[in-house]
Amino acid sequence: MENLIAANIRSRPTRTFISVLAVALGVVIMLVVGGIVSGTLNDYLGRTVAVGADYILQPAGSSVLYAFSDASLNVKLAGTLRQVPGIEAVTPVLSKFSPAHFGLVFGIDMESYNKFPGRLQMLSGRASLKGDEAIVDQILAEAKKLKPGMTLNILDHDFTITGICKSGAVVRVFLPLETLQKLLGTTDRVTVLFAKASPNANTETVFQNVRRQFPHYSLLRASDPNLLLAETRLPGLKEFRITVIVISMLLSFMVILLAMYTTIFERTREIGILKSLGASRNFIVGMILKESVMICGLGAVMGICISEIVRKIVIVMFPTLQVSMTFRDLLSGLVLGLIAGTLGALYPAYKAARMDPVRALSYE
Amino acid sequence: MTYRSGRLNVPALQNVNLTVNHGEFIAIMGPSGCGKSTLLHLLGGLLRPTHGKIFIDGIDISKLSDSERTAVRRDKIGYVFQRFNLLPTLTAKGNIELAKKIHGNGFLGSNGVDHILEILGLTGKIQFRPSELSGGEQQRVAIARAVVTRPSIVLADEPTGSLDSLNSGKVLEMLRELNDQLGQTIVMITHDSDAASTASRVIEMKDGQILRPSSRFALSHSLKDSAEKS
Repeated sequence: MENLIAANIRSRPTRTFISVLAVALGVVIMLVVGGIVSGTLNDYLGRTVAVGADYILQPAGSSVLYAFSDASLNVKLAGTLRQVPGIEAVTPVLSKFSPAHFGLVFGIDMESYNKFPGRLQMLSGRASLKGDEAIVDQILAEAKKLKPGMTLNILDHDFTITGICKSGAVVRVFLPLETLQKLLGTTDRVTVLFAKASPNANTETVFQNVRRQFPHYSLLRASDPNLLLAETRLPGLKEFRITVIVISMLLSFMVILLAMYTTIFERTREIGILKSLGASRNFIVGMILKESVMICGLGAVMGICISEIVRKIVIVMFPTLQVSMTFRDLLSGLVLGLIAGTLGALYPAYKAARMDPVRALSYE
Repeated sequence: MTYRSGRLNVPALQNVNLTVNHGEFIAIMGPSGCGKSTLLHLLGGLLRPTHGKIFIDGIDISKLSDSERTAVRRDKIGYVFQRFNLLPTLTAKGNIELAKKIHGNGFLGSNGVDHILEILGLTGKIQFRPSELSGGEQQRVAIARAVVTRPSIVLADEPTGSLDSLNSGKVLEMLRELNDQLGQTIVMITHDSDAASTASRVIEMKDGQILRPSSRFALSHSLKDSAEKS
């Protein structure tokens, strides 16, 4: 039967190619869209951890995705937090989403910020952040071809780039805290307080101390593994990914349904011949399903290869975007592509198996 | 046995009573629409009679379900069609092997297959696709496909209907040899009295009924008389 299936696939190269391509497209949508969302988000969360803080204090109900958080934390709380036993360093940060480069900017107090392991490590220019000065990270500088001394418009305000820092910490643009506060009209407000425990302190004890001091605030351990689980932190993300997967699977499902449905009408006489030879319904269903599985398998493999190429192109063309494709994602793409195609072939297979052999044999 | 079809419930076959013995080669003759093909489809289990019974090797296939009749067809029946009905995507060998696979590898080992291929003169054509074979060669492949599983009965529906006289003669000779050498039971439908004369028994049909059985000798005699009169 394998010979028959392979022969059928080979004998209709255009139909096979279009079907394979359509399944591949579904897999590419699934992997690339999902990969960009989770890759960029995980990269962002990874960089949040890279600040090197032990604790993240925010107003209650805030998200670690600072674009969704308000500047509603009084900057004076930084002083209160510093007094908590076991706390070595605290830095207040005001975050703001900048549509100009479609990313977050941080307003920081560089002196306190640089006490954290994720301090700004300058690659070129100077480490100065006063007035209308800005520091950008290496990836943004390369993507936008920015150099120290150039002007960067953020939030309709011109900033002069003083230096390029190593990438790694949360955002790609750093502004002076006070300047950003003035721009946003939130003079004494910040979005988040990063805190670090003393080297010899027990981090759990310090966490409890901070919790007691700030019982009504959101307090996260930066070492909390859940912090990295993007889906648990961004409402609707899981639903979005499921929607993308469902659309991709529907695409594969419909293409295979149409292709195999057309195929069985083309092959009505052949099905009649098989029935006259004594082929059972299971044999015919198996033949149609195996053919669709082969097409979907080829499509899924092609989709994975194309996705990998797209991933590399995206990384080169849009360095600030991250596309995450784990082995598990690729395996999911393969399996879901196969499932969609197999489901799409079920009805045509059923129709083929139910054909009246006498009518099928006389089909012109 | 009776078979009715269509909304008007017109009987396609009526009170047909036919016994085919093991090793027999029977030809069924009759004008178009007389019910020859319907009879063949009933014998092959592709249709179920409205009334009556059909026994294949002692099994009453008229009472069997679709899947059971499929199994009988697979195990006991070989079909040869007028238009060859080979699968165009497979080679001659692929077509023959497919029948074996559907059957469950058949009773014949590769030696048996080779023997059948030799009888049918197909040894050199095994890797050709149907489109690369002549009509006569295609029909010989179809015959090989029908007999490769050593069915109890081969049902041939106008096997020479699409062939010229040369190839018709060859195909009929093949069927005759299969009957003589392998003892293959064959029921053949034909319009052609020359083709029918190859069989050991000829059945004539008209309006869905068997008119009269006649021997090969009787048919030849009758044809001779007709020729002389004309």
